[in-house]
Amino acid sequence: MRDTAESLSRLDRNPPYAPFYGAMGVVASSVLTSIGAAYGTAVAGSGIASTAVMRPELVMKSIIPVVMAGIIAIYGLVVSVLISGELDSSLKYSVRKGYVHLFAGVSVGVSGLAAGYAVGEVGDMGVRHMALQPRLFIGMILVLIFAEVLGLYGLIIGIYLYTVDVK
Amino acid sequence: MYCKMNFGIIFVLLIVLGAGSIMIGVILANVMTGTGERLGLGWFLHTSNPFMWAGLGIGLACSLSVVGAAMGIYMTGTSICGGGVRSPRIKTKNLITIIFCEAVAIYGLITAILLSGCVKNFYTVRMISDQRVISNNMFTAYVVFGAGLTVGLVNIACGIAVGIVGSGAALADAANSALFVKILIVEIFGSAIGLFGLIVSIYMTSKAEMIL
Repeated sequence: MRDTAESLSRLDRNPPYAPFYGAMGVVASSVLTSIGAAYGTAVAGSGIASTAVMRPELVMKSIIPVVMAGIIAIYGLVVSVLISGELDSSLKYSVRKGYVHLFAGVSVGVSGLAAGYAVGEVGDMGVRHMALQPRLFIGMILVLIFAEVLGLYGLIIGIYLYTVDVK
Repeated sequence: MYCKMNFGIIFVLLIVLGAGSIMIGVILANVMTGTGERLGLGWFLHTSNPFMWAGLGIGLACSLSVVGAAMGIYMTGTSICGGGVRSPRIKTKNLITIIFCEAVAIYGLITAILLSGCVKNFYTVRMISDQRVISNNMFTAYVVFGAGLTVGLVNIACGIAVGIVGSGAALADAANSALFVKILIVEIFGSAIGLFGLIVSIYMTSKAEMIL
């Protein structure tokens, strides 16, 4: 009788559906950053394909926007793996942890989506105009770094939320 | 391309409006007849069958990955066919892009097979009385759903990215055959995105198993 009463009294902090929120946090962080990275890769890649026909020697320098878009996918992978390591059945995983992990994933996800969009657009236009004026390379790299740092901000908050002590 | 995007947007809007109106109907029907406290995400999660979530996850893992692969293949294939009119030599080298897109579908297939290994039969009697069985089986169900959704949606994004880049690669190859290998590097970065989704979903389900 006693452990039934004990387990029932913990049902509002450890309901059986608590891991749902953690799983949705993992989904948000990996899916949204991957969509941002895929957008960046696709748009910058089509710019590179157009530039390559005019100036084939600039293609290797033009792959930098694509690399930076890939890094955004890695931000999402990091937070997803961190949250997945903590996921467990609701006997050990409270719903508070679930909410915190959900929004850790959402923060890195939406930031990565926006950063990937920015990296893609800047990379596309930068690469196309670098073919006409090669001195624009440094300027494009500077703008790309600022766009990439936006994704990093999301990663910082995601990791910080993951390390918050919630039981 | 903007006309086609309009059709797609109208289709998506119809689905979203339909789903939204069904939800509003259910919510109002419950609230207005005095049974409003039934409504809650927690209630829905608690009373839905774990097999529903697991089945949804497995189905979405395979089907959404195939959707992504198909979108990539059609984008690249049409460009190969168009560019090959003047330069028929591009048709065999650009099959590499098609194979990258096919690999995306195979990631989804592998994940669906692995996820279906997590799903086992459980005794309903224990499911409603034993706290350990309830929490473990529901955890497995939600994690399988999350893993399937992850790999499916990431593979849609990856397939479209590889398709767009592959289309550019086909047309650049038609102009200058030394360019294909350089643009293949961009495609490899796109393909790596799909691999990340696979890694995340396999890691997420490493602890997930339904207990009798």
